[in-house]
Amino acid sequence: MAQSNFDRRRINGPDESFPPLFEADEEDPVHNLPRTRRGRSADDIRPIFLKAGLISQANGSAYIETERTKIACAVYGPRQSKTTVYSENGRLNVEVKFAPFSCTRRRAPIRDAEDRSVAVQIHQALWPSVRLELLPKSTLDIFITIIENDGIEGCIASGSVAASAALADAGIEMLGLVVSCAASTIGKEIWLDPTEEEARMASGSLILSGMPALGTITNVWQSGRLTPEETIQCMEACQGRCLDIHTVVAQALLDNAQVT
Amino acid sequence: MAAIASSSATTLPEGDTLKASTFQRLHPKAYFERFLAENLRPDGRDLDEWRAVSLNVGSISTADGSALVRLGDTTVVCGVKAEIAEPELDSPEDGFLVPNLDLPAICSPKFKPGPPTEEAQVLSDRLNDVLVAAGVVPLSSLCIERGRAVWVLYVDATCINYDGNAFDATLLAMVAALKNTRLPKATFDEETGRTTCSRKTRLPLQISRLPASMSFGIFDGTHIVVDPTSFEEPLLETTLSVAVDENGGLVSVTQLGLGIAGGQDVLMRCIASAKDRRKTLGDSIWTGSVAKT
Repeated sequence: MAQSNFDRRRINGPDESFPPLFEADEEDPVHNLPRTRRGRSADDIRPIFLKAGLISQANGSAYIETERTKIACAVYGPRQSKTTVYSENGRLNVEVKFAPFSCTRRRAPIRDAEDRSVAVQIHQALWPSVRLELLPKSTLDIFITIIENDGIEGCIASGSVAASAALADAGIEMLGLVVSCAASTIGKEIWLDPTEEEARMASGSLILSGMPALGTITNVWQSGRLTPEETIQCMEACQGRCLDIHTVVAQALLDNAQVT
Repeated sequence: MAAIASSSATTLPEGDTLKASTFQRLHPKAYFERFLAENLRPDGRDLDEWRAVSLNVGSISTADGSALVRLGDTTVVCGVKAEIAEPELDSPEDGFLVPNLDLPAICSPKFKPGPPTEEAQVLSDRLNDVLVAAGVVPLSSLCIERGRAVWVLYVDATCINYDGNAFDATLLAMVAALKNTRLPKATFDEETGRTTCSRKTRLPLQISRLPASMSFGIFDGTHIVVDPTSFEEPLLETTLSVAVDENGGLVSVTQLGLGIAGGQDVLMRCIASAKDRRKTLGDSIWTGSVAKT
């Protein structure tokens, strides 16, 4: 990070420091990415490891790991709303924090626009599924810490899965589990669950969140250049995959419930 | 109030469990005293029993070095990121070591989202004292080119689950992450004034000392409890932390509070206990996922 503001609440290093520059003649992975996917097929997603209940202090929690994306999520609530305005429906508050070592370039601990945009996407994905009408005057706080980050699409997708599992672990009443899947178009193909390099190489990306139990979609986020036909194809591919992810999440929650 | 069943062989019926947890919420001090009267603590440990430690290194690929520590339920993740900067004018051969601990809202209901709380700031400062003053990484080993380029090691720790004694867990995580760090080989080009790094060669850091910290607390001026949990911490009027390195040498001693425990010499007792514990932990704890009590 080139510019670092002096933060009087933390231990500070030198005024300016730069991430290491690597030698140019060595292989640069971004431009040499092969046309056929390395290691898996176009519609394979990476294996998901999901464990609920790891954070004992929280009402509900979940930890998700998919190869190089590691996200911890905790749910505190329902707790009393701090505001004096009476609200008939509960509030859902999502906060996302990137650990400083989670990205290739060190992130300052200051929260910036990227944290907020990930939080807003996850909020939109979860909001239709939670029965907030049963929680007047209450707030549900969802805190997400991204320990390792392999692309924003992966973060939003895995983050919403973890948050939904954490809500289930907390015993909050929901209409269904929310699962997400991301897709990117590389040339003519649609690759599901792209890594950071693959997403950067793609012409367009799409993240779909939905509740497979009800067959509904809660959030779609598209970026880049996609024709309407490609968008529909991506959405259908994601929706199909969401069914598999839902099984994994349900199984993980069941295992956790049986152990405790 | 319901009497807490003292037999450990029978499980409490549900009504009693509810009454016990209500008692814990309403009268934490009395609840704690009842346990101490039996020479036990609410989680079943003896007064001088330490929680099991488990350590896992190198799992975060985006960081140059990383460690995950679980001290009972307290979970701390630490990552080291290396950057390059110009050294200070009065110490042209010294690199920088910047440790920071973050206690975010995720780890406990008592932390609210926002800027670092007082507790986080104090802990970061204490960690800085231990790591820099102890000379865990000799700053001259971080020099790339005298007066022009040095390494800056940002050691950031995040607490994921706070069940007391974050200081011990974080120090363990930071030293383990530093031990796990591999820096790319850097060469400074005099003509362009830029430093380029090799993607292929990575060298480990030079670690000269391996400090570990042990924390104690004194309750009611009579009992010394070791490794307090988040339930016990607010009830202790004195807390002591002793950091010991691998040769039994003292690195740092901090005491907050009067330190009176029934007239005994608390400080020397704690230092002796800390040295014993450091010897039990040994040095193999740093290298891998070893769980030790």
